[in-house]
Amino acid sequence: MRVRLAAAVGDLTLANPIMAASGTFGYGLDLLEFCPPERVGAVVTKGLSPRPRRGSSTPRIVETAAGMINAIGLQNIGVEAFCRDALPVLRERGAVVAVNVFGERMEEYLEVIERCEREDGVAAYELNVSCPNVTAGGMEFGHDPAQLERLTGMCRAATRRQLWVKLSPNAPDLVGTARAAVAGGADAVTLINTLRAIAIDAEKRRPVLANACGGLSGPAIKPIALRMVWEVHRALPEVPVVGIGGVESGRDVAEFLLAGASAVQVGTAIFRDPAAPLRILAELERFCAEQGVAESRELVGALEWH
Amino acid sequence: MIARRDLAVRVAARSDLSPTCFRLTLATQEPVDASPGQFGMLSCGEGFDPLLRRAFSLAGVSRSGETTEVELLIKEIGKGTALLRHSAPGTDLRLLAPLGNGFSLEGAARRLALVAGGIGLPPVLFAAEVLAARGTGFDLYLGAASAAELLEVERCGRAASMVGGELVLATDDGSRGERAFITAALERRLSEGRVYSRVLACGPTPMLAALTLLARDHALDAELSLEEPMACGVGVCLGCVVELEDGRYVPACKEGPVFRAARLAARWWA
Repeated sequence: MRVRLAAAVGDLTLANPIMAASGTFGYGLDLLEFCPPERVGAVVTKGLSPRPRRGSSTPRIVETAAGMINAIGLQNIGVEAFCRDALPVLRERGAVVAVNVFGERMEEYLEVIERCEREDGVAAYELNVSCPNVTAGGMEFGHDPAQLERLTGMCRAATRRQLWVKLSPNAPDLVGTARAAVAGGADAVTLINTLRAIAIDAEKRRPVLANACGGLSGPAIKPIALRMVWEVHRALPEVPVVGIGGVESGRDVAEFLLAGASAVQVGTAIFRDPAAPLRILAELERFCAEQGVAESRELVGALEWH
Repeated sequence: MIARRDLAVRVAARSDLSPTCFRLTLATQEPVDASPGQFGMLSCGEGFDPLLRRAFSLAGVSRSGETTEVELLIKEIGKGTALLRHSAPGTDLRLLAPLGNGFSLEGAARRLALVAGGIGLPPVLFAAEVLAARGTGFDLYLGAASAAELLEVERCGRAASMVGGELVLATDDGSRGERAFITAALERRLSEGRVYSRVLACGPTPMLAALTLLARDHALDAELSLEEPMACGVGVCLGCVVELEDGRYVPACKEGPVFRAARLAARWWA
């Protein structure tokens, strides 16, 4: 049985529903021999700011049970270097590119988008309003619906491309922030960013990470991510959701689609296996074939519950 | 650039080297063209705990017929390394290798000083055996906490003697070799007038920090193999960054793990 894997997020059509997640796939060209960017539904870049960022001090990462905590602090090459060095190659290869956008102030989000608007080959922007590892910007916009609506509205006015907002699982009111993003003009929401977490070294009586806290990712967070995707999908069934959180297999992707995600991002799994997005895509195809599902998009929101 | 691959490897042999360290010999049907100082990311077993692969410097690569053997020397320090210590011959694992940049072995006008502390030995041993085969002269400084934790002493001695070099041993407790830090043993020889072109080293951070100062005082070029917490090994997670003298953070997995000591931020060794 031939399974059709095409997916859509809003009016953006993707060859398949698997994306490489921001912060786990560089700028799309670092793992060419394992996962060519044009073979996944889309690649989401490392969060880009108007100017290069140095990132947090070290240690930045620690492994935990079925997960890891990171506090990278959005180290990135800046939007200019991305547009100059990486984007032309991605465009040439035919990759679908979503630029993850970060700013410390609202104007900085706009600066990144305006710079990318001068280039062909960007399909979508994903606003990072949920990074737990920076002191200014990011999460503060993601936690306050009024500010989020204003930020999204500002970005909406600057582009006709797809605009996604990557929401924080740490926000006090998840559905409220999703509503605010949509009210501001977002085409879709990405759920979820990492969960704020801490690891403690008991002998040293100190936090393991230099930042103390960081963001938890990996299989440990999958059930929470699924719940949040489901919750937002139920409250706002017309809003496309991009699901993310601990995806390690094709079966995990199916679970996210059933919960209501239109597409799914693979993140931490890439650290274990640089070919993870393609392996997971092949597993999804096999899962669908075994289940008699002709098109993977049939699964979207198809969770059966009384 | 040497092609990195995600190799299907099988545990061919496993043996204890000390109370805490063991050797893992991994066999693969694919050729592995690695140089000393490069490393690999090794899976530790099935399941999600441990989640991530572990980074190990390669201790040696040999090919006979269709089979390549990759040698790792590992210290058991946690769950992942404990699983590896107990993985039976025949166990299938994945090794992403070779990764990163190794030591400079070319262009030495004089002897090299190779310095290893404890489980810092693998890249130094790999370098020693490659240099010995090429006929490039070196002395090998090997230090550990105690005699029991001095690894592969005979093999180190054999490699050094092939090029007329000295094997210098030192232990913190004096149970074998000089009772000193290995850096003090090197310092004494330098002050006695021994001259080297370059120092290649791997070991605990205090040892490498002491070497950095020593190299600076003696106008010696030093290359250090650093160990940092690492998730991906291929430059995308940015977890393993090292601060350079110019203030930049660069991933040890891509720009290292071997760095020229003079490039490192003062904060690192001060």
